[in-house]
Formats: sequence, C-alpha cells, structure tokens
Amino acid sequence: MRYLLISVLWMVCTSCALQTTKGLRQAPVKQAEVVNPYFSETSIDYVYKAKIDVYGRYFGGILIVKKLSGTSHRVVFTTEFGSKIFDFLYEGDTFTKNFILEDLDKKIVVNTLNKDFRLLITEKVPVVEQYASEKHNVYRTEAEGRYNFYFFRKGEETLEKLVHTSKHKEKVTIKFESLQAAAKTSEENSIAEKISIAHNNIKLQIDLAYLIKD
Amino acid sequence: MNRLLAFILLLVTSNVVLAQEVAMNASEIEAFKQQVNMLSKNTNTITSDFVQYKHLDFLENDIETKGKLAFKTPGLVRWEYTDPYEYSVVFKEDKLLINDGGTKSNVDIGNSEMFKKLNNLIVNSVKGTLFNGDDFLITYTKTKDFNKATFVPKDKKMAQYIASFELLFNTKDGTVKEVKMIEPSADFTRIVFSNRVLNGPVSDAVFTN
Repeated sequence: MRYLLISVLWMVCTSCALQTTKGLRQAPVKQAEVVNPYFSETSIDYVYKAKIDVYGRYFGGILIVKKLSGTSHRVVFTTEFGSKIFDFLYEGDTFTKNFILEDLDKKIVVNTLNKDFRLLITEKVPVVEQYASEKHNVYRTEAEGRYNFYFFRKGEETLEKLVHTSKHKEKVTIKFESLQAAAKTSEENSIAEKISIAHNNIKLQIDLAYLIKD
Repeated sequence: MNRLLAFILLLVTSNVVLAQEVAMNASEIEAFKQQVNMLSKNTNTITSDFVQYKHLDFLENDIETKGKLAFKTPGLVRWEYTDPYEYSVVFKEDKLLINDGGTKSNVDIGNSEMFKKLNNLIVNSVKGTLFNGDDFLITYTKTKDFNKATFVPKDKKMAQYIASFELLFNTKDGTVKEVKMIEPSADFTRIVFSNRVLNGPVSDAVFTN
C-alpha cells in the first residue's frame, strides 16, 4: 500500500515536472542577462517567406521585421501580392496594432501573434537560472508568471531554441537555424535563416525562411 | 536671398512636376478608352515577366520579387513568383489554386464578394479593361510616354485596404506597363511588366496548379 502511494505520488510529480529541463543540470548563473542576437540590427530589413498552418488551414505570406531603434520593432505580415494582413508596432513594453484584417481582428488571434513576435524580438532579459547539457548552455528568464528557456549551442554560442513555458507545461517552442556564412559580420550574426514557431496548446505552426538578396 | 532662391527653385521644380503629368480632356479620355478596349478585344492571350516592388516606409529597400504572368480569355490567369521564392496562383472560375513552393491549397472565392472584386480587378487590370466598373471613381492623366488611370474604390470595405489603384499604359500601343496599389497608409505595391507577348500560343495546361 505504501509502495503504491509512493509510486502514485512519483507519477503525479513527474507528470507535472517541466519537460524542458529534463536532462539538464543546474549551473551557477554566470551572466546577468541573456541576449537574443536575432533581429537586433537597425540597418537590416529582416524579410521572410512565411508558411502558416492553423488547425489544418494553410496560408502563406511575407513577414517583415525591422528594428527601428533601441527597443522598438515593426512587425508586418503581407500576402505574396503585397497587401497587408497585419502591422504591429512594439515600443518597449507597449504594443500597438497599426492594422489587422477585419476577419483576423479577434482578441485571441491578436494576443497569440503579439506574444509570439514579442518573444522573437525581445533582445535582453535578466537571467533567473542557468542550466547546462552536453550541447547547450540554457538560460531561464521569467515574465508575467511564465518562463522562457534560451538554448545556446556551446562553443559557437548561437541561439538554437527558445521554449516558452508555464510552470509545468511547454507552450511555445521556437527553433532557429542561424545564417551559414564563412566569417560572419555582426549583421549576419543577427540573421536567423530559418525559424519555426510551434504551439503546443493550439494547432498553430509558423515556418519562416529568410529571403536572401541577390 | 537664399530664401528667394529656394522659393524660385520650388516654383520651377513644382512646374516641372506638373508638366510631367496632366489631366486628360474629355476627347482624350474617349480616345484612350477606345485604344485600350480595342486592344483588349483583340487580345486572346498575354504572357509577360514582371518585377514587384513592395514599398514600406520603414524599410531600407523595397522588397523585390520577380515572376511571370499568363492570361487567356475569358478569364484564366496564372500569376507566378519565381525569385526569390516559388509561389503561384491560378485564377480559375470561382477558385484560387495556390502552389506555395510545393504546398498546395485551394481557396473557394465563390462566396466572397470581396474576393470576386479582387479577382475582377486582377483580370481587368491585366487586360486593361477596368473602365466600365461602378466600383471605382476613375481619373485620367497623361505624360508623353504613358497614360494613367487612377481608381479610387467607392466601396467602404475595400477602401480600408486600398486607397487607390493606378494603371499605367504605354501611349504607343495601349498595353499596361505598370500597376500600383496604394494602401491607406501610403505604403504601396508597384508591379512593372516587361517582355510582354500578345496572342502567342498559351496552352490550357498552364492554368493548372
């Protein structure tokens, strides 16, 4: 009986443990801030071909991200033909919806998009905890009761993964493939060639491919 | 003195701008419409290359995409981007057939008034026959190289997306050389056509996706 109780308790506890930190060991916090290198140069127009799958409905478009100044970004999504689908402005903690198609102008849609893109463009966040695995240095940050885990590949220190979680569950996973170049400039360092945003609680997947100019 | 000079300069340059583009008079409008309608009547197929420039005021550079267009009467259109990505749309009856780099999808536009209007807009602007529509307020201007028709949507819903729509026609032969769609924010999409071939052979197989 006692054995059963222990195993039930064990099952409950492991099922509520966060998947993200599985296989990671905690390490002393060595840096005060985690720095997201992507979308961080004001001189670059970050232009992506986007493919979006939402509950099995598929559509494509062009995603444009531009850093305007220290803490402000424009995020605009258009059709391939160029007409705007949405146009968001981020200034520090302030979010402004400049434009969104009437059919998409629903609180849940706007909130989800707002949060996803805020994750992508937020550059500097205070580190709460640090972890390590064989391949990655992992930094945990906190915002509004949610956690973000930044996975940096050891050695190159490139950001490969960002996991947004509640205390117990993974909500959004963003994977990055950084631009392949022989000797990268700081501009090139700020470019993710491919980005995939996967949601766990809603069926929403966004894939982005950087459009390289001739 | 400097201020005077600046003022004169402003006057001169604004005169130059005005001299570039002037309003057509009634008989010019009539002649222009006839030229375009005549050409449209005698056109069964069109193929053309195009370059699309997406202008957003906050970007360093316009976003440039290149592609090809095919049209066949009565209303078959294939619009295809080839560079820097592959994406094509076929307008066929009440459907949009989309192939986004291998991912295929269809959009039924039969039920959507808005889509029907957009579809009409595309078919008609390719053919150059937008002049009889009740959906737009149309003004006509000209320079020595081109005639320009500017369309302002009357429909309030459409006006949320498009402030105006400009078609530029070569003065010589009445073919469409440029399309510009201006958004209420003043950002715009400009499409410039080249290598246009009229009435060449275009197989029906082009309009599958």
